[in-house]
Amino acid sequence: MPALRELSIRGTPVHMLQDGAGSPLLFLHGAGGGGRWLDFQTQLAKAFSVYCPSHPGHGGSPAAEWIEHVSDLAFHYLDLLDALELERAHLVGASFGGWIAAEIATMASHRLASLVLIDPVGIRVDGWIYPFLFAMDIPEIVTTVFHNPLAALALAPPDQSAETLALQYRQGTAIARVAWNPHLYDPLLRRRLGRIATPTLVCWGAHDRLAPLAPCGETWAREIPGARLRVFADSGHVPHLEEPDAVATAVREFCRLHGGLR
Amino acid sequence: MKFYYFHLMPYIIDHDEPSSWVTLSNRHYDPALGHTLYNQYLDQLEAAERLGWDGLCVNEHHQNCYGTMPSPNVMAAMLVRRTSRAKIAILGNGLPLRENPLRIAEEIAMLDVASGGRVISGFVRGISAEYFSTAVNPTHSRERFYEAAELILRAWTEEGPFPFDGRYYRYPYVNPWPRPLQKPHPPVWCPSQGSSETVEWAAKRRFPYLMVFTPITRIAQIYGEYREACERHGYQASRYQLTVNVPIVVAENDAKARALAEKHVMWVFNVGLRMHPPFWRPPGYMTEASLRRLLANPPKPPSELGFEEADREGYLIYGSPATVRDKLRVFSDELKAGILCSGMTGPSHEQTLEMMQLFAEEVMPHFREDARVDETVGVGR
Repeated sequence: MPALRELSIRGTPVHMLQDGAGSPLLFLHGAGGGGRWLDFQTQLAKAFSVYCPSHPGHGGSPAAEWIEHVSDLAFHYLDLLDALELERAHLVGASFGGWIAAEIATMASHRLASLVLIDPVGIRVDGWIYPFLFAMDIPEIVTTVFHNPLAALALAPPDQSAETLALQYRQGTAIARVAWNPHLYDPLLRRRLGRIATPTLVCWGAHDRLAPLAPCGETWAREIPGARLRVFADSGHVPHLEEPDAVATAVREFCRLHGGLR
Repeated sequence: MKFYYFHLMPYIIDHDEPSSWVTLSNRHYDPALGHTLYNQYLDQLEAAERLGWDGLCVNEHHQNCYGTMPSPNVMAAMLVRRTSRAKIAILGNGLPLRENPLRIAEEIAMLDVASGGRVISGFVRGISAEYFSTAVNPTHSRERFYEAAELILRAWTEEGPFPFDGRYYRYPYVNPWPRPLQKPHPPVWCPSQGSSETVEWAAKRRFPYLMVFTPITRIAQIYGEYREACERHGYQASRYQLTVNVPIVVAENDAKARALAEKHVMWVFNVGLRMHPPFWRPPGYMTEASLRRLLANPPKPPSELGFEEADREGYLIYGSPATVRDKLRVFSDELKAGILCSGMTGPSHEQTLEMMQLFAEEVMPHFREDARVDETVGVGR
């Protein structure tokens, strides 16, 4: 069972789940994924000391009004590494969390032992416009995000109480604050990806309909120097939820090869 | 009581698409028919002045068949030169939807000067769906509204040039020519759905509050909150700060009026306001406190509102002139609303004009104890 830690990062309260032993690994979740410890994290915790904070406005972390841009979240997590006294860590980010992870890597590759991006959003891709997530009802989101809709059950809300609905609204608000327009990207990020000096693995679901492998995954793999691209055949936008064992294995292998941490 | 003629300028069609807003394809819009409609609607507004209405209202909505006035100031400009007495109420401009809200200060000042000081300037946030059709970030909506309002009011009242350095809007030189004719500035109204933050904001500034298409019990509740807020700010609300917009159908007898209301007013709710559910609730448009209030007592989507319920809850007024007078007494005597902003829709342009005439002759004169009062004096500024 992961432990819940309540931190204050330069005055911003953070709920974080933590478990496992080994090299430190920071996992940044996607939209709607905060505060949950799923199969993927359990698998990673067998090999790493896994830190899984909820973004401000997600899970148990309250909204933070000062966050206006994804780079604010990137600095927030660099502050978190400082507070945890982690000089270097493996960084894994999925979808929206992958966007934050990429921003961090452009700022501070020297703090990262390795970088794993799982179907990240965050860059403008020639020939692709992300379908407008905020206009989707739940069935449309499930169809767009999941190749295997059963995997969506992992993120299903526990009930329809006012508390749950308010949390969902808070989470949507936190994402919209930084991702409504431009929708799901930072126009400056793509060119900056060339700065990333960390060994990078780009994981992609073969059936991603939010950010398809071609052209999105291929663009990421091309823009990050030396990045490796690994495709998961039975996944949509969230391979770590759809094929958790396979993705966790890929992460473990990649980190072992490129870790630089003992 | 004062009577303002409110027009939505709808493009009335039946369609099977899930939303009349944002995604309803504009292939449904026939510009040739639109030409006829715009001119008929403007004729109706002009007729309203001749028939004795005190004000004419236009409003801003985007990408829908419910109301085809994306720029209300354009419609107001046409009315300014075709009317001479009636107030022209723009209800309103969606402040946060503008990238350059100084333009609103300029346009309203132009209209005010050209009309000889007849303009009322509504400040609205724009309804939820408009954040999808303009791509403005709904999480910035409230702050942009307050900031744009402050900018516009300062632009109207302070001698320029001065710099303005806001979070969303920044100008090295605020110095609009022309300045508005009305002093200190044109009256500002706040059409709203009743969020407590807006009630407080409007009451503090003596800006009239307009409830649009709301059931009577909720109007009574919000009016109560508004009056309380005014008292907290050290004054008693004038009745001309309490405005209501309720659709009206009047005919020779109740049965005939009911048949017209069932068809034409219910179109506004059932089709005009049909919306893909996510368009009702963009993230961050509401405060979490407002959301929780809403969840505690979730309103029915207008598209699911039945006629019997709409009638029972007071979403609309219909009947013979005598019945309409009785129903209006609830608004004038019990709710003590000072201004009624209502439009009428008949089955055709000609029949709408006839309905307006019937209302002007058989209803309006019974509510004219305040005929000599100028409702805008000391109100909204």
